[in-house]
Amino acid sequence: MQVIYSIFNTILDAGAVVMLPIIITIIGLIFGIKLSKAFRSGLTIGIGFAGINLVINLMKDNIGPAAKAMVENFGINLDIVDVGWGSIAAVTWSSPIIAILIFAILATNIIMLVLNATETLDVDIWNYHHMAIVGIMVYFVTKSVLLGIFATVLMAIITFKLSDWTAPLVEDYFGIPGVSLPTMSALASVIIAYPLNWIIDKIPGINKLDFEIKDAKKYLGIFGEPSMMGLILGMIVGILAKYSVANILSLGVNMAAVMILIPKMTALFMEGLMPISESAKKFCQEKFKNRKFLIGLDAAVVVGNPDVITTSLIVIPLTVIMAAILPGNRVLPFADLAVVTFRVAMVVAMTRGNLFKNIIIGLVTTAALLYCGTITSPVLTQIATSVGLDFGGGLITSFAATSLAVSFLVYEAFINNPIIWVPVLLIVFAIIWVGVVKYQKKRNI
Amino acid sequence: MKRILVACGNGIATSTVVATKIREKCEEAGISVTVTQCKLLEVEAKADDYDLLVTTGKFTGGSVKCPTVGAMSLLTGINEEATLNEILSYLK
Repeated sequence: MQVIYSIFNTILDAGAVVMLPIIITIIGLIFGIKLSKAFRSGLTIGIGFAGINLVINLMKDNIGPAAKAMVENFGINLDIVDVGWGSIAAVTWSSPIIAILIFAILATNIIMLVLNATETLDVDIWNYHHMAIVGIMVYFVTKSVLLGIFATVLMAIITFKLSDWTAPLVEDYFGIPGVSLPTMSALASVIIAYPLNWIIDKIPGINKLDFEIKDAKKYLGIFGEPSMMGLILGMIVGILAKYSVANILSLGVNMAAVMILIPKMTALFMEGLMPISESAKKFCQEKFKNRKFLIGLDAAVVVGNPDVITTSLIVIPLTVIMAAILPGNRVLPFADLAVVTFRVAMVVAMTRGNLFKNIIIGLVTTAALLYCGTITSPVLTQIATSVGLDFGGGLITSFAATSLAVSFLVYEAFINNPIIWVPVLLIVFAIIWVGVVKYQKKRNI
Repeated sequence: MKRILVACGNGIATSTVVATKIREKCEEAGISVTVTQCKLLEVEAKADDYDLLVTTGKFTGGSVKCPTVGAMSLLTGINEEATLNEILSYLK
């Protein structure tokens, strides 16, 4: 017993780089992958974590002091650095309860499919991190594993239902039939876009507005290139920090490096998880082969749409300006400016590509990201520090995790008086569910 | 050595799946390739240096000179072989 205990402690002390290969190997074995392959997956993911740690350190050393100087010089209080969804996903996969949460999500999906409560088969294990992080944060705050699992299961149910409901949009607008997009980073915008779109449609005059921007890509394309965005933003922060010219240039190039390197490191996570996703896919497709279902895919498959790209290219620079002037916001948007396309994709589909509405609703969506990010940053930073991603006392956030409106609501309901707010959330969700079912029946007749 | 550019929404998730499958298939077929991943937003700036563009979604965002293959099937697993063979046909 003593031996097991000390082995366990040694592993825990060694941190995420050691925990990750072990946890992923075990998850892989449960999914029926051969030990050698499962271990390679685990090791690849451990390497990814080490890589992300390096980039985060590069970021901390460069942008950390500059952001502080910016506050002192001009009172621009943007001291919470957006380190990107990939870094937060790395933190998520390093949690001690991640294995339980992954199986809880998969079980939720299978049970809902068996009960005909969802059409979506979601074996995109990679994107489970959006649902898992909420449970991890709830667990971290409440110290209750059970509440953490409940929060993640609720996230899963909401995710699968939202992707069922938006599947017709994906088919009609993006022209991709037979799939749904259980990616919360895209779906969360729906709860903001749906009511706003409805309101705008009711305002006489405004509801007729639309315009077109020709050659948006030619003039704004630069905002779509992460390296250029990193360079420009880095240099702007350097100027506001009143750095010397040499230091301004150096900050620009280092921030461009961060923009390019974070996705490269995150890709290692994806590569490591692929064998697990593939085996889950085979297992589930065989189990449900007599049933029609929507295959859950990453929302990456729709963001190539030209309207989505045009909207993003306009929303990205406006979001940076908004971050500086919105009262109460402390988030410095950075790494996740590269994925604004995901946040606006569903907005674009909902307005049928009306650029006027896309920009208005898109900006409300990114404003919500900034505020939710500001509020939940301290807990997120503590969790990151606890698994070894240390930002040297500075605060971090991203445009994922609880910065997403849906995840934010679920998280807040579970940490503030869950006895009152969780039932409230469930009732509201149930009413929406019934409403959507009635609406769909009416439309089909 | 043929050069393939694989593009998806963020240059990470789905493009890694597709890139890995293309690499494995090419290895089996004995074709040497370099596969690079990028974001769909960057395609126009980059595609000219490649022999083939593979996208994981619908790419309607502009004009590129090299042939383009949509590889959604590598994600859903339906008609996967046909798409892989189409990709190979451009590399011979």
